[in-house]
Amino acid sequence: MYPNKHKQIVTSLMEGRFITIDESYFDILKENQEFYIEFFNKSFGFELRSNQEFYYLISEETNENTSRDISIFFSILCYELDKDGKNFMDELGFSDFHIDEIIEYILNSTWSDIVKSNKQLYDPDSIRKLVGSTMVKRNIAIKQSDDKYSFTKAYKLFIDFARELIKSELNNANA
Amino acid sequence: MFKSEPKTILQFLATHFDLLRQLFDIQVKNEVILKSQVFDTLNEFGSDIENQLFEHKLLVEQNDDYIINEPYFVLFEFILQQFKPLLPEEIEKFGQSIRTLFLHIKEGIHQDKNILLDRIEALAKEIKKFTIAVTNNTMSLLNESRELKANTRKIEYQEKVQKARYLIEFYIKPLNNILDVSHEQSIYNELLLISKYANNKRFDYADEGIRRQFEKLYNLLRQVIKDISQQSIILSNELLPLIDRIRTESEYLQGFHLYLTNGNCYKGIKPPELFTTSRDNPYNPYIFENTKEYFDQFKNEEDVFIEEETDVVEQWIFNKSEYKSQLNSKLPVEDFFSWCKTALSKEKENFNFDNYFMITSLIFEEDYEIHLDKKNRNISLKTDRGELIMPKLKITKKENVSK
Repeated sequence: MYPNKHKQIVTSLMEGRFITIDESYFDILKENQEFYIEFFNKSFGFELRSNQEFYYLISEETNENTSRDISIFFSILCYELDKDGKNFMDELGFSDFHIDEIIEYILNSTWSDIVKSNKQLYDPDSIRKLVGSTMVKRNIAIKQSDDKYSFTKAYKLFIDFARELIKSELNNANA
Repeated sequence: MFKSEPKTILQFLATHFDLLRQLFDIQVKNEVILKSQVFDTLNEFGSDIENQLFEHKLLVEQNDDYIINEPYFVLFEFILQQFKPLLPEEIEKFGQSIRTLFLHIKEGIHQDKNILLDRIEALAKEIKKFTIAVTNNTMSLLNESRELKANTRKIEYQEKVQKARYLIEFYIKPLNNILDVSHEQSIYNELLLISKYANNKRFDYADEGIRRQFEKLYNLLRQVIKDISQQSIILSNELLPLIDRIRTESEYLQGFHLYLTNGNCYKGIKPPELFTTSRDNPYNPYIFENTKEYFDQFKNEEDVFIEEETDVVEQWIFNKSEYKSQLNSKLPVEDFFSWCKTALSKEKENFNFDNYFMITSLIFEEDYEIHLDKKNRNISLKTDRGELIMPKLKITKKENVSK
């Protein structure tokens, strides 16, 4: 009656995880999308959101602080990668980062005022925790071997959001 | 005239190449080389070749400063494959001379043989110059765009975007028009017409010398058209996507910039919505993070101020004599408390208990006699604030009341 791996999918999403295209759950969700949208809505009042590359749940109450920390993290990381002559889209999509490399980018950033005032970013331990725990828990980052991390496609939620800001600002300016 | 042998000059170029390259780089960057820069460079290399620089006519004076003599400059550009992109106008001038020469060739096709030969030769020369200009330009634009993309100069994104926009607007788009086959006025199309014409004339002309010249022109054009279309492919397959990519990235970077500046990320802009986990067990591997996240929600919250309600409360004044005369006119009243409610609600629909109690105070007036209901029944009054349970009281007029 229920789709395959139903329990794992529901548990996963209810833990605030992103289910990304490279996981087998993604295909099951995609095949049963209508069912799951209704299931989460009727059972818990949660909204199941999706795009080409990931699924995630939205509750009425949003975890604004965590989301803000992650958005700031990606904004600064991408900004610094670009300044370093790297293609940040490719890097986030296909590269592994050693945690020390990430820490260095963030702590040496030109956005030091923001870094200093953010408790998830202001020292190496906080950044380790943000990436290694908070982001791994939500399947935004994946821990590889030797203190290295890669990012899942969920990172796009946070950088596309920044891009949309410019588009909406332009629209407002034109309106 | 040179005092030195050509070989000596070439030898000189080879021996002091690094120093000369530094002077070349200075000129590329600043258009001229200041006198002081010449001396600084010589000092840096510990070299005393100042005299030879002028003897070999490597440097020429321009006002108070120097520039590298044009033929040497072109040589350096060529051997370093480092060309300053030409403005489309500079390329277009070859187009103009090609068009004019072709027009004159067509018009004078049956006139003087010698001038026709010269014109064909001149046309070939212009076409070669045009091809070199286009090839060098595509290459230098590609290099510039790649450098921009890799951000080798570590410039901030605003400057990068500006530079990309500048390259597109003033160099790449116009170059694309020059090479665009679907653009009727493009030089590329003009070359196709000339090629067709030359192909025709290499068979169909009385004079053999002229036929041979057209043959040469035709062969040149075959190669040129191949080269130009190659450049056009580089432009559309590599250069335009590269610039497009810079533009997309710049949208993201502008977004990050907007988000991070002016405290926007804290106050102005809400981040993407993110699921809040509700249930947690102590053995959940992420219990620490979840608990932390839960408490973090309450950080950075805006201060809450409680202000007293400023709405003016409508004052209601109990008009005792008015209500008393109303009551008198209704006497005897079977249910005093219900009467109070009816009378009050006629005047004030949303009355409160205070208003109500004021009316009920009429019961203490000396004019009335009070009788408890024989069956001891209660009445109730319900409002938003609560419910009052009261005895049912009958009111009659008291006899012998002194007025």
